[in-house]
Amino acid sequence: MSLETLSPSSGHQETLPELRTNSFRRALARISHLTDDARIFPTLILLPVMFFFIVWNVIPTLWMIGLSFYRYSLMLGNEQFLGTNNYMSIMTDSQVWEALSRTFIWVGAGVAIQTILGLLLGFLFWGSRDMPGRRLALTLLFTPMVLTPVAVGVFFRLLYEPTFGIVNYLTTTVLGVQVNPLNDRAIAFGAVLLVDTWMWTPFMILITLAALGSVPKAELEAAEIDRIPWLKRLRYIIWPNAKFILMLGILLRTIDSFKTLDLVYLMTNGGPGNTTDLIALLLRRKAFEAFDLGWSSAMAILLLLTAIAFTSIYLYILNLNRRRQEAIV
Amino acid sequence: MAEIRLDKLRKEFGKLVAVRDVTLTFPTGTVNCLLGPSGCGKTTLMRMIAGLETPTAGEVYFAGERVTHLSPSQRNIGMVFQYPVVYRGMSVYRNIEIPLIEIKDLSPQERKRRIESVLETLDLAKFAKQDVSDLDNGTRQKVSVARAVARQPKIILFDEPVTNVDIGSKTQLKRALKQLVKQHNQTIIYVTHDQTEAMTLADTILLMLDGEIVQTGAPRELYDSPRDRFAGFFFGNPGMNFIPCPVEQHNGSSTLGKPLFAQPMRVTGLTGQPEVTIGIRPERVRVLTETAANTVPATILREAMVAGGQRLLTLKVGATTLKAKVPPTDTFRAGNTVHVECPVEHVVLFGSDERRLEAALQA
Repeated sequence: MSLETLSPSSGHQETLPELRTNSFRRALARISHLTDDARIFPTLILLPVMFFFIVWNVIPTLWMIGLSFYRYSLMLGNEQFLGTNNYMSIMTDSQVWEALSRTFIWVGAGVAIQTILGLLLGFLFWGSRDMPGRRLALTLLFTPMVLTPVAVGVFFRLLYEPTFGIVNYLTTTVLGVQVNPLNDRAIAFGAVLLVDTWMWTPFMILITLAALGSVPKAELEAAEIDRIPWLKRLRYIIWPNAKFILMLGILLRTIDSFKTLDLVYLMTNGGPGNTTDLIALLLRRKAFEAFDLGWSSAMAILLLLTAIAFTSIYLYILNLNRRRQEAIV
Repeated sequence: MAEIRLDKLRKEFGKLVAVRDVTLTFPTGTVNCLLGPSGCGKTTLMRMIAGLETPTAGEVYFAGERVTHLSPSQRNIGMVFQYPVVYRGMSVYRNIEIPLIEIKDLSPQERKRRIESVLETLDLAKFAKQDVSDLDNGTRQKVSVARAVARQPKIILFDEPVTNVDIGSKTQLKRALKQLVKQHNQTIIYVTHDQTEAMTLADTILLMLDGEIVQTGAPRELYDSPRDRFAGFFFGNPGMNFIPCPVEQHNGSSTLGKPLFAQPMRVTGLTGQPEVTIGIRPERVRVLTETAANTVPATILREAMVAGGQRLLTLKVGATTLKAKVPPTDTFRAGNTVHVECPVEHVVLFGSDERRLEAALQA
């Protein structure tokens, strides 16, 4: 019996429990009617996500864009339209340019080191399928990645601590050199970058393993049978298959590294001097210490645009390859 | 000088024994087909010969030299896989060329000559400049065959190379294979589950079941005298007829009679079995419209068209059914009564253990 044909009047003759069942069925039928519709169903499923996306993402971004054209202080609250003045002041601010170039060095060096280490270790794990304890080693290796940056920051501050930290103890006993990494202008940047590398190299190992896993086994076996040397296998078989996942990993790491705040904030807060002052730290200071929200909004917009630029470059390269392949097929 | 010898080769995957202590020799310059149903361990056996799989026990020798511990590239062999494996993103010519570059004492002229000759044989010349990603599976498989053959290794392994290509390429590939394998006195191992393929290509067929080699021999030999019921059934399309038949005593000698024979047929070499199984190939069963010497009457239950335009008849003889393959004529229709003769020279007898008996029928 079709559920839609149950008219409300037919329910009157029936006993109460059945009536309830019928109305329940009818409601169910109405819903299932909606969920069967190929146009309505996806929208229904997307609605909650769309709601949160709009409330937490779209509206704040639009608000921020608006705010970036005003002078607005959390302390004073005196709104004043400035036009593009905030942007102009950012462009001419030497502190911004310094922090930005420091951030680029941070991203470039960090991502490069993490990628190289990740590739090496990834290949190592890939090539040692039968190694005993491989699983345990991998699990341990991935631990830094799942820790919160705050915990890592505190942990390494203790290690770097000059009076009772193990780093200073080791360098004094082994090398006879006293170090205070986080307060030494010469090595603070490197010391923090080292922690970032410790944290994020596992991610690149994971990406490398995933990328290598996407190389068809049969092609590798064929290359082995065909006696193709290792470097050529890398170039002709592994690279063409693995490059997309690898590049995706590098992109994610680049964007993430560009936004680094918590780790550095906890370890040095930009010091000593401003040797570890990354752009995100500068932004945080302007927004939550100087309460200059207009200026900070403009800065945030510029950073967002930079991140979008990174992504676009990646997508462009990816599409270029796809287009080339489509041209062939 | 590329004899392959296996010594008690064994492979276990956990509790599953894929290959059970296989000992055999593939002589130099022969084409050997490993034939068997899916999952019988033939691919595993081949992969162990290639070095892609490490044996649980046993040894592999090439030309008398132990190679069990060597990597696939150290073994210097060629191999064609079940799925066409090509190096994507480059031309057909380049695909064949890449492994050849690695042969140190091969001059560029000789390299070019080899590639062109193999392209010619496999009818690939027109694709030479095309990207392999561009080609269909059949052509890709031809490229991978070309790649393996052009290197001219002493041993080439084929792992069901024509299973995943379309019919047209299949015939072409098989023809090319026949032509190629005889050129350089190479030892070929060819894995297949297709008996027709094995029949047409092989010098020797190795029939495999459950990780063991059941029977080895020339195609004709396997066809005429299967060692057991499995060999008789697996080899042939459709497989052999198996009809149980009680052994009777007549004038002091053992005989076989109903249902297949009109008069009792004397059988020698039996060792007191109460019953044997008569095996006869469908194409050996003679179906006549008139009664003749030693025929039994039968009714046609079904008829069907099979390859080559022949007719496959399902006959009811007494209480059993018998399949017979006959030339295409209109005289045999379902429901007709015919007369069936099983020529004694084509009858094979099996015991209750399914093994062939060393016994013979006499007219």
